Amino acid sequence: MLVTLGWSRFWGRTNIRRYVWSHLTVMGDRFEYRGRGRELLIGFLLALLMIVVWIGLMWLVWRYVFHERPAASFGMFDLFSLSVALIGFPLAYVGHYAGLRYKLSRTRWRGIRCGMAGSAWSYGALATGLHFANATTAYLLTPLVSVNLARPRISNARVGTLPFLFAGRAGDIYGRYIGYYFLNIVAWIAAGIAVFVAVGGTIESLGISSDDFLKLLSRPSLNTVLLVLVLAFAAYIVFGLLILPLRCWWQAYLLRYLVTHSRAGNLLFTTAITTRQMWGFLVLNYLILLLTLGIGWPWVMHRTMKLISAQLWIYGEPNGQEIRQPADRGPGYGEGLLDMFDVGGV
Amino acid sequence: MATASPTSIRYYDGETAEVHLVAVRVTTNELVIYRPAGAEVVARWPIGEVTVLGDTQHEVVPPVVRRGSDARLIIEDPQVRSNLASLVPALQPLVPQPVAVGRRIAVFSSIIVALVGLFWAVLDYGTEYAAPFLPHSVQEQLGETVLDDLLADKEQCEGAAGLAAINRLANDLAQEAGYSHPITVHIVEGGPVNAFTLPGGILVFYSDLITQAKDRSQVAGVVAHEIGHVVHYHPTKGLVRAYGMDLLLKLVSGGYSEMMSTVGGGGSLLLALRNGRAAEREADATGVDLLERRGLRADGVSTFFQQLMEKDPKDAAAAAGIWSSHPPTTERIEATKRPATGRPAFSNAEWQALLNVCK
Repeated sequence: MLVTLGWSRFWGRTNIRRYVWSHLTVMGDRFEYRGRGRELLIGFLLALLMIVVWIGLMWLVWRYVFHERPAASFGMFDLFSLSVALIGFPLAYVGHYAGLRYKLSRTRWRGIRCGMAGSAWSYGALATGLHFANATTAYLLTPLVSVNLARPRISNARVGTLPFLFAGRAGDIYGRYIGYYFLNIVAWIAAGIAVFVAVGGTIESLGISSDDFLKLLSRPSLNTVLLVLVLAFAAYIVFGLLILPLRCWWQAYLLRYLVTHSRAGNLLFTTAITTRQMWGFLVLNYLILLLTLGIGWPWVMHRTMKLISAQLWIYGEPNGQEIRQPADRGPGYGEGLLDMFDVGGV
Repeated sequence: MATASPTSIRYYDGETAEVHLVAVRVTTNELVIYRPAGAEVVARWPIGEVTVLGDTQHEVVPPVVRRGSDARLIIEDPQVRSNLASLVPALQPLVPQPVAVGRRIAVFSSIIVALVGLFWAVLDYGTEYAAPFLPHSVQEQLGETVLDDLLADKEQCEGAAGLAAINRLANDLAQEAGYSHPITVHIVEGGPVNAFTLPGGILVFYSDLITQAKDRSQVAGVVAHEIGHVVHYHPTKGLVRAYGMDLLLKLVSGGYSEMMSTVGGGGSLLLALRNGRAAEREADATGVDLLERRGLRADGVSTFFQQLMEKDPKDAAAAAGIWSSHPPTTERIEATKRPATGRPAFSNAEWQALLNVCK
């Protein structure tokens, strides 16, 4: 019975999407979500099966390549975790793309199915390569990564037979990014100094030796617990005031750029989302989830949808007769690890 | 049969994204969709093929469709929806059904709380009784897996006479306690001064514990303490609890909330440590008792702890408080104090062999 608590999430997620989609309208027409919990469950079960197969494969490697002998304290579990880490990152990107494909294929507007062309595999390869290159160049390639990963996701999306178009170029946003990059470094240094001074000053002014300090931690009284919470909150404030607004400033700019450079036929998109709104989206939503132990998720969802409907402006009038029902029905199952392998799309 | 419908109804033909503003009329066997201006008929749907997708609980306007077609009728006006539903039974889902949200939440949350409580109780108390019934071969396999992992890059001591001596004492004490499976003692070269027990009656001693012991009664005391763990199935219980708690947390949080699993992880660690302290007390008591029952010198446990205290007068276990896996050492010394009487647990030859087990 308890097991159903976890399994029911496939149907729960589907119901929430039906609710959210049907509350969003474009040109007076509501979106429709027609996915089923069963499809998510099957996707998940197939994913589980693949993990089992993978574990079996690794066991064979362990048995016949390593002959069950640990090499330099490299045991079987290390082999599992290393192999999962190696394939996990690329597959997560493949999964993102295939998951988007599933959601779009279950979305209808004016009775017309949306969809997603393109290969999740090549997206996964591109994303892995770009993120790796970015990480090895101190994240100086971020605009290149953002624009080149947004392009396949936007320009492969469709409403019926109407494709989206994306006309962004990384060169356009490099100037702002470089500014953000160096301001960010300065902010980290400032935040580090502020926290160091504040914490060091507090401990010194209370006259606590390091031994007493350890004793306090091992037999925590209510006061100690409260003090630690207050300190953690203070550190968060310092960090939050200096680092996060900067990040939101960049993210808001990036989102404005991506949205305004997308269109679908004669429909143009634009947004004027501000740094402050981005803060509400990235930081407040995170805090709500954190402080409600995840139960505030519907509230976060609601906030996000409200932000999208208030801040995504669409200009132009689509020619309804030119947008036709697509021939393909999209993947049969959704969002499991199988989606990561994109078998459902074949 | 007819129904007057205002033109708030949208019809999508399923072929294109064109919007038709229409009205609907119900006849005895058809749903007629027509344009109000000029009464041009757009579509005729047989009543038997008309149905509603979704429900009013999750969607603002559940679409009315003809089975097997992509076409849709979207009826925004609730009044029109209920009119239609009263004429066509298949359209009944268009009428919102009252939902007792509060009651549903209450029922669901009490079920969840009850199940979590039950699972917790089964885990915490159930393992206490169920662990001994886990087949010995399974426990042994568990223990050996962990042992292989732990000893992968360590040197084991192979002195046959020494190993025989310590295995003999361990098995004698286990038999005294009525434990029916064989005990295997492994000795690992070097430190720390420590010994531990794995599921399936597997004991691991570090050779530093033997060489740094003041006399043989201390080593015998530690062997007896570890046998205490074995006969109470502490290692098996610990493993079952740890995995069970992990599983419980994943199920409760649905894998969604990271915060929950972090907090929960800390909680289950504290719980494991609390159980750990209780297990140490139990093993201390049983160990001393077993030595006494066999007429062996039983002061080794307390003198061993005294020796530890001399080395580390601050008593790390007491200082660590709720974060300690062991009870405070002073408490353990008091609980295990016994007179220095009784037969030695090892013969002279055995003790010499044990001291040289790594050579």
